Formats: sequence, structure tokens, C-alpha cells
Amino acid sequence: MNRIQTKLEEDKKLLSIYFTAGYPNLDDTTKIIHDLEKSGVDMIEIGLPFSDPLADGPTIQDSSTQALKNGMTTEVLFNQLKNIRKSVNIPLIIMGYFNPMLQYGVEDFCKKCQEIGIDGLIIPDLPVDVYHEEYKAIFDSYGLINVFLITPQTSDERIRFIDSVSDGFIYMVSSASTTGAKSGFGNEQTEYFKRIDNLNLKNPQIVGFGISNNRTFKAATTYAKGAIIGSAFVKHVTNEGIETIPNFVNSILK
Amino acid sequence: MKLKVCGMKYQDNIEQVAAIQPDYLGFIFYEKTPRHFNTKIPKLSSDIKKTGVFVNEDLNKVIQKINEFDLQAVQLHGEEAPFYCNMLRTTTLLKKPVEVIKVFSVMDGFNFKILDEYEAVCDYYLFDTKGKLPGGNGYTFDWSLLNDYPSTKLFFLSGGIGIDEVEDIRKFKESDASKYCYALDVNSKFELEPGLKNIGVLREFINKLSNNKKMQEYNVDERGYYGNFGGAFIPEMLYPNVEELRQNYLKIMGDPDFKKEFDQLLKDYVGRPSPLYFAKRLSENYNTKIYLKREDLNHTGAHKINNTIGQILMAKRLGKNRIIAETGAGQHGVATATVCALMGLECIVYMGEIDIARQAPNVARMKMLGAKVIPALSGSRTLKDATNEAIRDWINNPVNTHYIIGSAIGPHPYPDMVTRFQSVISEEIKWQLKEQEGRENPDYVAACIGGGSNAAGTYYHFLHEENVKIIAVEAAGLGVDSGESAATSVLGKEGIIHGCKTLLMQTDDGQITEPYSISAGLDYPGVGPMHAHLSKTGRAEFMSITDSDAMEAGLELSKLEGIIPAIETSHALAIFKHKTFKQEDIVVMSLSGRGDKDLQNYIDYFKI
Ligand SMILES: Cc1ncc(COP(=O)(O)O)c(C=O)c1O
Repeated sequence: MNRIQTKLEEDKKLLSIYFTAGYPNLDDTTKIIHDLEKSGVDMIEIGLPFSDPLADGPTIQDSSTQALKNGMTTEVLFNQLKNIRKSVNIPLIIMGYFNPMLQYGVEDFCKKCQEIGIDGLIIPDLPVDVYHEEYKAIFDSYGLINVFLITPQTSDERIRFIDSVSDGFIYMVSSASTTGAKSGFGNEQTEYFKRIDNLNLKNPQIVGFGISNNRTFKAATTYAKGAIIGSAFVKHVTNEGIETIPNFVNSILK
Repeated sequence: MKLKVCGMKYQDNIEQVAAIQPDYLGFIFYEKTPRHFNTKIPKLSSDIKKTGVFVNEDLNKVIQKINEFDLQAVQLHGEEAPFYCNMLRTTTLLKKPVEVIKVFSVMDGFNFKILDEYEAVCDYYLFDTKGKLPGGNGYTFDWSLLNDYPSTKLFFLSGGIGIDEVEDIRKFKESDASKYCYALDVNSKFELEPGLKNIGVLREFINKLSNNKKMQEYNVDERGYYGNFGGAFIPEMLYPNVEELRQNYLKIMGDPDFKKEFDQLLKDYVGRPSPLYFAKRLSENYNTKIYLKREDLNHTGAHKINNTIGQILMAKRLGKNRIIAETGAGQHGVATATVCALMGLECIVYMGEIDIARQAPNVARMKMLGAKVIPALSGSRTLKDATNEAIRDWINNPVNTHYIIGSAIGPHPYPDMVTRFQSVISEEIKWQLKEQEGRENPDYVAACIGGGSNAAGTYYHFLHEENVKIIAVEAAGLGVDSGESAATSVLGKEGIIHGCKTLLMQTDDGQITEPYSISAGLDYPGVGPMHAHLSKTGRAEFMSITDSDAMEAGLELSKLEGIIPAIETSHALAIFKHKTFKQEDIVVMSLSGRGDKDLQNYIDYFKI
């Protein structure tokens, strides 16, 4: 069983944290991963930076630009993560845009992920239809779980299709937005969380976008299995550096 | 199979349809139809048979019309008896013999017995759908009835044939029922109003029907690909919007009301058709024949408005009330702000900070037109980044907003939709060149390429004409090898930018690199997927032109022809310095925009 699937079976609400690899400094990657695990985070999304991150707001854009300036590349990231499984047990997911993976070679990329012990991928600009037709077989053969996004605008029919293609969790984007654009949830979100909960999908859902503190984490996980924090964590790192990661995580989980 | 286009009425429209070269053109001499023909027929190619359509008309009158209009065929739509048909074939009152086509209307069934007595007295039969009026009822009959066709006389198939019937026609062609089918007769399904034919749709119909492999090679397929390029690589957040567009754009564009509104605005508001101008002095200078398609004379000064008119009408049909756009040179931003003012819709334009500085007059124009201009501050702060910001805006406003992309780029269906709106350029070139040179097809068509919308429009109706060569001109910046360039076809590799798979400039690691060109409109690291395909297949010859060559060519055109071109366009014009054409070659070049917006750049460059 994939680590993601094992994790999802635990009887608790999960906290997943996104960070941009190579930011604030090129070699911070493994320290951030270790500190997040030690602080009690359940899952980590390692952001592979891209020059043109369409689905991201200014916070993650800026961290990506800086990471690229620092010299981050796909190859550098794989090297940094080479021995990560000697010390880290929680699920690791790489989140990145499709073009760098395409240039690396999709199969080579997947193979490398398997070697390192990456459990899954989130690729916002690889639509489920294309994945299903062209790449699923490759991902499957390297034991990788691909995670798809849904939004309040995604139709029930499409959600069911995404559910059928997924075998980990569904990334439930809380509102129609880029990352870091909105914070907090209104009635609309609650209605949406309920609607999805009522669909009784085979994959659990993890909510992302708009979660920044204990309150929003609780709200997001009332109906869903877990929540993902991205921009708020990147902001924390920007403002406070990487020495106070446990403080950040504690403030969410307190 | 031959083609007959029936129900012609207006002089200009007759000429335009004739340029498509149907085998028969039909003129209805029956007063009770709105397509009643009562003017003169312009001079037509002798390959086209002028056909008079009559309904139980007095024989003498028919004979008089045949002589008066020099008709080569008559189509009898009433209960004309066999002897009546025979008279037309034998009378000595006709100056020249005519073909006699006898029409039979088919409803739920048809008794073929009735044909017996007509076998010897007419040349063709025509089977039409029975309706209230003779012809033009707009629906088809069950063609499988023709499985029982007992005769060997060739016939025309008619009644409700339109672009949606192409698949059915293909199947029909493969069936036994079509064994004696000689021609298709089309009419009401290709009309903007009774008697006025929609040239674009007619052309598309013919292209689709010809089942030409070449055609399919260069057009978008059902999956949204041109060969290996295209598709829709978009975040799920954009899926509902893009899917809504994909499902509706062809339907909406095919709707006669839409087409009518579009054509009307192109004519009255944009000022189309734009002239096809024979550039005499420029031609002499380069010892070849150069025609300039004057998109610079459009309202707002470039081809961009063809697309924004189309897309604003599309947005309205989709019920959107907020419009966003990206812009490089500001031409597309101005064209979008213009149509938003025209329609009273909110308009937000994203523009790179660098471009805002180098295209100041256009920024001012957009503001005057009521648009909000938001600077893109990320990346190279040019067109690519403006496009990123527009896409992010769309993600954040998924319900009420339409994104008017300004070039033949982006996720499917954008490249195809923009191409179709711009295809009016080549549609006009065809009949304009026919008028001026007696032939529709030039030897070359050429255009500059940023994302590739003016080029796509200029090439569209020539893509499948093998003897028309295509030239695509990219911006080399300071030189292709200088590191400061936007020559995507040379420097690019297959990858994904702004939602489509195409050629793009990128690092080995798949990061998109920052292009450079003196021209804001060509300063883009990708190219539309159609052009990537034209480049890979060798269908188009790609040339790259440096800043300095372009600037010189812009100055040259100004001095030789009294036309100051946009710097984008100047790139296309510079090919004459690098490529020799034969004296008798006809080169049609898209003069995509005027140079007003670039005046400061010209002034600075030449220290004028
Ligand atoms: C006058 C003119 N020509 C050409 C272009 C390039 O765009 P495209 O390749 O889409 O025609 C632009 C873009 O701004 C333009 O303003």
C-alpha cells in the first residue's frame, strides 16, 4: 500500500503542508521536510518551482521565482531528496506544473520519484482526461498516486469521473481562486463542503486554498478528511525564516 | 460530386460565391419567394452554369429569360409536363441549348413511377424536400428512399443541406443510393438572410466535403489538436469556462443571427472589407508583385478587432458581463476596450509593465475607452506575464467573466476560434485577388507571427491550396543566436504554455524563458499550435527578422508607399530583403497594423 493510502486510513484529520523547494535558500529543502514531520504534520507537498505558475497567487509565485533564481531545478531537487526516506516516514507528494516534467520525460520523472520514495504527484495543469488517456498507465507502473483538484464549479458528473480515476484523495479547492487569494470560509464554502460530503465518494477529500490558521483548519476538516496549507506557510517562512516551523504547525493544530 | 448554390440575389454576393467556383449558380425567377431574382447577373466564369429556376412559368417567358440572362440550365420546380420539358430542349427560339433539370419533391415516400415519362425529355432530375414553398424549406428528406431509384439518369440532391449534414453526405456518398447522384444543391442553410449567402460557411462546407486529407492535416481535430500541438492543459479551476466555450463556440458561430451581427459590425464598424492594395513602388523595388492586405485600415488600426468583435458577441451569447484580456503592443487591449465600450461591458486589460512604458499611446486609448489597465509585474513584465495574470483573473472570476484571448494561442478552442474570426482576412483576399488578378490564389501569403492570429487569418483559406506557399515571419530580436530573440520556431521546443502544447522557448529544465523583440506584439516565447504544426510539417517557411531589419523595412514602406506600418508588421515587410521572388510571383502580405502606436519607437530609433 502506498504511504498516502495508509495515512488516509488513520482515524484523524490530516494536516498537509506545501512549501516551495529551494526557498528561501536552495538547500533548505530537507530541513523543512524534517521539521514539518517532527512538528506533527501528516503529509508534505514539495513544490517544484515553475516560471509561470498559472494557478498560484503572488506568494507562491514569488517564492517560485526566488527558488529558480537560487538554482532549483528538477535534477537538483531529486538530488536533495535522494536519501530522504532514510529519515522521513510521512507521505511526500511533489506538486508542480506539467512542463518541467514533460521536459524531464514523464516516465523518467515517475521512475525517479519511485526510487526516492515519493508517493504521489499533484499537477494542476495536467487535466484528468489527458492523464487518464495518456499517462495513468505510467504513473501506476511506478506506484505513484496522482491527485486531482475539484472546485465549487466542478459538476457532480465530473467529480464522479475524477473519483473513479483517483486512488488516494481528492484535492478540494475551497473556492474559485488562485492560491493565497482568499482566506477564511463563508456559507458558500460550507454548502460546497456538505454537497461533496453527500456524494459519498470513494476517495476522501482534503481541502486546500484559504486555510491559514487553527480556525480555518477546523472549519475545513469538519466535513473533509484533512486540509492543506500553502501560502500561509510560505509567508511564515518568508517572514520568520525556517527556524520556527514547529511554532507555525503548533498554531494550526493547537 | 458537383455543387449548385441556389437562390442568388445580390451582385456582390454572387461574385463572392462565384469565387468559390461552384458548378451551378441558381437564380430564382419566381416572384412568390423572398429569393426572387430581379437584378443583373455579373459576368461569371464560363465554368459556372447559370441556372434559372422557374415554377409553372409561361414557356415564352422562360425562353425570354434564358436568352436575356444567357442561362445554361433551367430548373423546373412546378408541375411542368413532359412536353414542356421537351419544348425547351427542342425549340429553335433559344440562342444556345440549355440543360433541363426537372424537380421532384419528396416527402415521406416517393413513387418513382412518375419519372418514366420524363426519362427522355430532361437532362437531370432534382430531388427536393416537399414543403410549403418550392425549395428553400430548410430540412432534408430521407435519402435512403433513393435506394429504390429505378433510373440511371443523374440527379441533384437538394433540400435542407447545410454544414451539419457533411457527415450524412459522406455516408450517403458511400451508399448505393448515391450511385447516380450528380450534384448537391444548397440554399437556405447557407444564408444570412434569404438570398444572401454566407461565404465562410460555404467554403468550410466545401473544404469539409472534399474530404481532402490535406485539409484535415492542417485544421484542428475534434480533440483540439493540430498534429501534435494544441489541446487544453488547464487547471481544473478553468475547466467549466473552457468547456462551456468548447461546447458552444461552433454552434454559436454557425448561427445565422450571430454571423449576421458579426458581418454587419465588421462592415459598418470595422470598415471591412479591408482593401487588397497592389503596392506598385514596393513591387518595383523588389521586382515582384506585392499586394498588401490593409488590416491597418481597420478601426483601431490592426487586425485584432476582427477577433474582439467575434468574441464579444460570443461572450454576450454566453451571458458574460465582465471581460478580461491580455495585451502586448496594446492593439488587442485597445480592440477589446473598444468592443466593450460598444457593448457596455466592464473591461479589464492586463499589460506587462515594460509594454505599458513602450506603448504609452495605446494605454491612454484603453483608459479613454473606459477600460482598467492592470500592470503585470511578474517575470519579464511583457506579454507572457500579462497572459498569466489574465488567466489568474479568470480563475478567480469563474462565473461572469469571459477572457478574450488576443491571439491564436491558449487552450482549445481558443486557437481555432480566434483563427476562424480572423479568417475573414483570407476569405476577402480570395475574391479580391480574383477581381484584380483573375485568380484567387497568390503564389505566396506572408504574415508576421507573435502568437499568430493575423497569420492564421491570412493563411486559413489557403492552407489546403498546395500551390500557395506560406511564409511566417518571427522576430529575431538582436539575432537568433544573441540570447535576445523571440524566434520561437528556431529556439523553441515542444512544451506547454498558457494551456496548450506548442513550440516554446524554455530552458532544458522546462522553465519558460524570457523572449526579446523591439516589437511588443511579437515578444512572446510561444507560438500558436497551428503554426507549430505548420513549422514541423514544413507547410510554412519560417523566417526570422531582426529588430534593425524590421525598422528599416518600416521606414522603407513609409517612403515608398506612404504607409507607416506597425513594427510587428515591419518584420513581415523585411522578408523582401532576404528572399528573392520571381517577377511574376504574386505575394500577398498581411499589413497587420498601422504604426501610430510605434511612432515614439521610430522616432527614438531613427533620431527623427
Ligand atoms: C499590428 C500587429 N501585428 C501583429 C501582431 C502579432 O499578433 P498575432 O501574431 O496574433 O497576429 C500584433 C500584436 O499585438 C499587432 O499589434
